Amino acid sequence: MTEVTGTTWNVYDANTLTQAEIYGRVLCDLAEADPRIVALTADLAKSTKIGVFQEKFPHRVFNVGIAEQNLFGIAAGMARSGLLPFVSTMSAFASMRALEQVRTDICYQNLDVKIIATHGGVSFGQAGTTHHCTEDIAIQRSLANMTLIVPADGWETANAVRASVKHPGPVYIRLGRGFEPTHYENDEYGFELGKAVTISEDTDITVIACGVAVYHAAEAAKLLKDQDGISVRVLDMHTIKPIDEEAILKAVLETRRILCVEEHNVVGGLGSAVADVIAASGKGCAFAKSGLPDCYSEVGYPEDLYSHYCIDGDGIVGLVRELLHREFEADEDWEDEF
Amino acid sequence: MAVATATPPNDLPQARTREFLRARLFLRAALPCVKVMLEDDPATARRFKHVDAVVQFVAKNQPRAVGAYLWFENGTVRTEQGFWDADGLGKEPDITFTFGSLAKLCDFFAGKTVLPSIRGYNHPALLAKVLQLLLSLKLMLPSAQPTDPAKRQLKLKLTLYMITTALSQYNKGGDPGMQRWTAKQPDRIYQFSVEPEGIAAYLRVRGGQTKAGRGVYTRRRPFVHMRFNGVEGALAVMNKDVEFVEGVGKGMVRIDGSPEYAANLNDFMMRVQALLTEG
Repeated sequence: MTEVTGTTWNVYDANTLTQAEIYGRVLCDLAEADPRIVALTADLAKSTKIGVFQEKFPHRVFNVGIAEQNLFGIAAGMARSGLLPFVSTMSAFASMRALEQVRTDICYQNLDVKIIATHGGVSFGQAGTTHHCTEDIAIQRSLANMTLIVPADGWETANAVRASVKHPGPVYIRLGRGFEPTHYENDEYGFELGKAVTISEDTDITVIACGVAVYHAAEAAKLLKDQDGISVRVLDMHTIKPIDEEAILKAVLETRRILCVEEHNVVGGLGSAVADVIAASGKGCAFAKSGLPDCYSEVGYPEDLYSHYCIDGDGIVGLVRELLHREFEADEDWEDEF
Repeated sequence: MAVATATPPNDLPQARTREFLRARLFLRAALPCVKVMLEDDPATARRFKHVDAVVQFVAKNQPRAVGAYLWFENGTVRTEQGFWDADGLGKEPDITFTFGSLAKLCDFFAGKTVLPSIRGYNHPALLAKVLQLLLSLKLMLPSAQPTDPAKRQLKLKLTLYMITTALSQYNKGGDPGMQRWTAKQPDRIYQFSVEPEGIAAYLRVRGGQTKAGRGVYTRRRPFVHMRFNGVEGALAVMNKDVEFVEGVGKGMVRIDGSPEYAANLNDFMMRVQALLTEG
């Protein structure tokens, strides 16, 4: 099998294409080199942007109709037959409607099925709460054998899709709807599955983010540096499972203040995964989670919803300022030692 | 014990405020260094091994005196602020050094010739030991240049401990510039360390509060870390024999972290040193 690296389209495209469009193009590149790759959809080929794959490999695309449970069951069978299925549908359907098939047909057998879940979080804005998905990180990370990736932008999506081919077993890649801002300038920034990307190695506080929150966290860090002189470490925790324990504990020990930001319910998501690591380590720190506060999402433009749930730059700035002033050590003692 | 520490009333003229601040640095940052002498200098430790006594330093001052005392017990010593007034200390001082003013107290600790009135001549042996101990603190003065490597290491340790505490006290004592600087900072560690000898001290800053500590702060990564390359390089920089920037250029000290804040800290160190050595 030929190694596929880089992208075959130009930089202008990468900055304007949505995450899902980039997924479609990367999949084409990968499929050129790997005949095992097939694409499956449940009547959402257009929404999930695999049209380009369909044009190029019409005999390797399978539309099962609006039948997500069948979609994943068929994918499991194809994987058992030696194919490498990439299944794309909206995250609400991939993680909830077809959960039993994902769990029992795919994860239980540890099959090589890659799930591309689009429209994650509240990115589908006006489509409403039924089409939002603010529970999938919690659900997917609880499935044994599952690898869970939440890319920050299109470039990271390209890296995640490529990494998933090399990674055996089921992989869930959570994307937005599109139109999300791009954080990275290209795909050569050292992406490694299971290893967080340290965007800035500062020491006052750490913001751990995934998905679209990475861009906003990086913007907030710039603003805090300029306005308050606060140095914020930003970690792009693209892989939620297996999570980068080393980066988390390093941040705890070196900054002692951790803010997790995600486009997800604060219960069970990135923040909970990070909290698990910290609690197990026995190390103390001031800690906060930002996301949907255990509620069903409001309906509106994604940008307004990000602002409402403090996932955007201004919201993160406010949370950082708040967390910096929180007392967290019972033995706070400001007497000079001698 | 009367609580009459070197904290000025709010309405003092600037010169008097500065005097209070200076006294504060001597009583809370320099005087406590006697503990290091007892711990690290074997000869001093031997002399105080069985001493159980209280030695007090008081400066006459309006509206009330300012003082501190050393409490020797079982070969250890601790420094407390305030002075004995017959109803609180629990043990009448064995020796009291009384100075005519705050300025004279400061000059005494700065190594200048000042003669305090001394009560406690009935403890001649103790008085001799204490005077010797106080004289040993002159090791911190820039003019003191011991040749014995152990003494040089001790000088550096005393200096680092004293300067980090003095910086903290400079803030706690109300220097407006230092308070402005610390007020806007989140939890930050300014670490000083000397390798390979392992001497280390730090200043912790958060939202206007400061704390000086000994050793390496392990609960978070330093915001600024001044790493000195050995005792000799460190002494040259701390004594100002070599300018800080020159010291960096010569590899005597390396700065990890924010260069701007390191420069700010260095400015405050210079202001503290100027205050301690003025007069």
